[in-house]
Amino acid sequence: MSVHVLRRGLDVPIAGGASGSPQQLPTPATVSIDPRELKGVIPRLAARPGDRVLKGQPLFYNKRRPEMMFLSAVTGTVKSVERGHRRVITDVVVEVDASSEEEASFRTWSASELAAISRDDARNQLLAGGLWFTLRARPLSRIADPDHVPQGILICGTETGPLQPGPDVTLAHDAKDAVQAGVHVLKALTDGKVSLTLSKGSAHPALVGLSGVEMHTFAGPHPSGDATVQVNHVDPPKGERRVWYVSAADVARIGRLFLEGRYDAERVYAAVGVGCKQPRFVMTVIGAPVADIVGGVKDGSMRWIRGSILTGDTIDAGRYGGWFASAVHVLPDEVPRKLLAWMLPAFGRYSVHRAYLSGWTGGKNKDLRPGLFGGHRGLVPVGQYRRVTVTPNIEPEFLMKALAAGDLEESISMGMLEFSEEEAALCTYICPSKIEFDVLLQKGLDLYEKET
Amino acid sequence: MKALENVFDKLRPNFEGDGKLALFWPFFEGAETFFLTPGEKTHQGAHVRDPMDLKRLMIFVDFALVPCILMALWNTGYQAYLYEGLVGADGGILGKVGFLDYILRGAWHFFPLYFVTFAVGGAWEGLFCVVRKHEINEGFLVSSLLFPLTLPPTTPLWMVALGISFGIVIGKEVFGGVGMNILNPALTARAFVFFAYPASISGAKIWDAAGSATPGTALTNLGAYAVNGDVPVNALVDGYTGATPLLAVSSGADGARALDLLAAQGWSFSDLLFGFVPGSMGETSALACLLGAVFLIATGLASWRTMLGGVVGLLTMASVFYFLVGGGMPGVDAADVNPLFTLPPWYHLVIGSFAFGIVFMATDPVSSAITPVGRLLYGFFIGVLVVLIRVVNPAYPEGVMLAILFMNVFAPLLDWVVVRQTANKRKKRLAPVGAPAAAAAK
Repeated sequence: MSVHVLRRGLDVPIAGGASGSPQQLPTPATVSIDPRELKGVIPRLAARPGDRVLKGQPLFYNKRRPEMMFLSAVTGTVKSVERGHRRVITDVVVEVDASSEEEASFRTWSASELAAISRDDARNQLLAGGLWFTLRARPLSRIADPDHVPQGILICGTETGPLQPGPDVTLAHDAKDAVQAGVHVLKALTDGKVSLTLSKGSAHPALVGLSGVEMHTFAGPHPSGDATVQVNHVDPPKGERRVWYVSAADVARIGRLFLEGRYDAERVYAAVGVGCKQPRFVMTVIGAPVADIVGGVKDGSMRWIRGSILTGDTIDAGRYGGWFASAVHVLPDEVPRKLLAWMLPAFGRYSVHRAYLSGWTGGKNKDLRPGLFGGHRGLVPVGQYRRVTVTPNIEPEFLMKALAAGDLEESISMGMLEFSEEEAALCTYICPSKIEFDVLLQKGLDLYEKET
Repeated sequence: MKALENVFDKLRPNFEGDGKLALFWPFFEGAETFFLTPGEKTHQGAHVRDPMDLKRLMIFVDFALVPCILMALWNTGYQAYLYEGLVGADGGILGKVGFLDYILRGAWHFFPLYFVTFAVGGAWEGLFCVVRKHEINEGFLVSSLLFPLTLPPTTPLWMVALGISFGIVIGKEVFGGVGMNILNPALTARAFVFFAYPASISGAKIWDAAGSATPGTALTNLGAYAVNGDVPVNALVDGYTGATPLLAVSSGADGARALDLLAAQGWSFSDLLFGFVPGSMGETSALACLLGAVFLIATGLASWRTMLGGVVGLLTMASVFYFLVGGGMPGVDAADVNPLFTLPPWYHLVIGSFAFGIVFMATDPVSSAITPVGRLLYGFFIGVLVVLIRVVNPAYPEGVMLAILFMNVFAPLLDWVVVRQTANKRKKRLAPVGAPAAAAAK
């Protein structure tokens, strides 16, 4: 077991965290999934509006790989297919038939069979069983290519994102058998190692004492718990090779697909943020309406964010929960203006910078608001980016400049492909010049995809 | 506060889009965000942001300059009265010419320079913002305060205006404004004045003229003139100047000892440390600069690496000269050389404008190196160059301005070396290790 202590980074202190154990929500009336979160997938519908689908039957598949299925989380009727800009599918809405217990089934394997499962069997059942999407590849964080044999696979058993639920909540404590089965399946997919990361001091009963995995412990503030960051420390992809990563909760899901032969669409979401009446964890299905997940919101203008305040997307309150994003953050969308704030000592207002007294004492007010709090300026490098850069061998200011200049070659040689989205978002958070590093990074990655 | 918001909300339409005053939007925006934090919301990227912005950053650098400004006021007044032989004499506000008189006299010299800098530089800044439709950049708050502090108190105002114009336009705006400039704008302004009007800022004639009059007797001479009615009194007082310690040492005869030359003027190490000596207004007190340095490092606004590198570089180079040539080694006699060789290294720290330069000018995050290693090297070479210019170059007694501008130009090269090394390290770490053919990307 190796220990990685990442001293840099930042836990953005924001109020509105959920606590307790997940409460079971009643089956929602409609469920929808948004294919746009599945980066690298071009959806083609497998079911039309009006069609009846069982839980575990395909809703759509990947145009580039027709064998890659995306399944319905519930049994019911396809109600509508919503399209957005350039007719991209934004929602496949299924009206739930609560009376039916029917669901699709898949081949079941015994634990001993799984220990010797072949690569093709593992691959085919994952593709048909709708769980291939849980595997994402570094660099680029796209859905893994089934033709690749990855250099290694990293199972992420940590979470440090602001108010994001970790495996303590998202992974059942009795899921050890399922996780072990999932590990066997993953082992069949790679000729390298399967690594499992845990946060320091964590002893999740489903994640200790597994066979076939290399254990890594991570300590430190965000983004030490992010899988794409951990890949760079545990098993950096060499040359043209890829390293896949998957969350621990999804490994249990994979295990159940093989052990029980069913599509496990249950998942934990967290409703967090000061805007929630009662921040909470809920147990429901993938793609449940965010309004159900959140329950009640306070009065006033609210910004609904799918994911975290650093990397999440703003969504409409009528939308649905995500595939990967396990939280819905409701952030009050009002920015109070302060008088002559540039010269106040500002005990209360949290800042990481020591030009605020709260940078020394840690601010008490964690009611962060979505304000820019400054104008966009040229880069004044007072070392801000380095405080949150944990990927090795990166000169963040120069990466930013190369990205801003649109120089793809230079961006790559500055580490664009290893630099994680979470780090870039923290750079954006911290920058006094209000430079949006994460936006620049995304533009760079999009350009890279277009050109390769 | 709500009332203030309403005032701005009411005025805003005039400055936006097709409003009558749309041209002056940068000024409106500047005024609004001076009083109130911007109400703009994030619409892309991370949803929440740290409240730190460049306004606060630049204003805090100004705060760090406060000890230097106070010292500049006091010392400018003190030196003026000292030269006129009035220190401790009867008269003045408190009965004797004392603390308050010094401050007022200093203010009389400093603030006209500052206001001219601010007005002229600000006008340029505003013009560029209006043309570019940019928000007004806060960086000018620092440049406009630094520039007058680097000037002798008697610099003519038109020269100040020309200097800051050059500094702001050529030093900063032609590159694209804050964050884009290669040279420190305040130093660029000073360099312009220095080279365009050498006689007024450090020319040998001026220093010689001052040096030939014994401090403390000027008023007597002045009185003589006044009695004769030849020359208006004010003209003479405005023309006052005195030799700086560095000039006193460098103009000594070969073979003279630096400490003797300083002692002849009545200056000890502590006079230099506290800044009770003539010189450009802000530079004389190393102690005030040290206070500023502590504040800047504590608030994380300036790089301690640059400062450390500078001090180490200066001490290293000065030690080489002092111990090998200047007779610093016990038992070894000083060679018959320029007296600056015999100046002990620790005197180099407090004499001239090194402290001011390394704390406030060299650490400008934009024109300095960016990488941590780059910053150490950048500081180090500044220190080395300062001593080289001071000791070896016969033309200029002081080398801080030139050393920093020179290293401003070389900072990108230092960074380039560091960044390439980092890139190579990463390349090595991620090099393919006998990848099987099947794994290659399709």
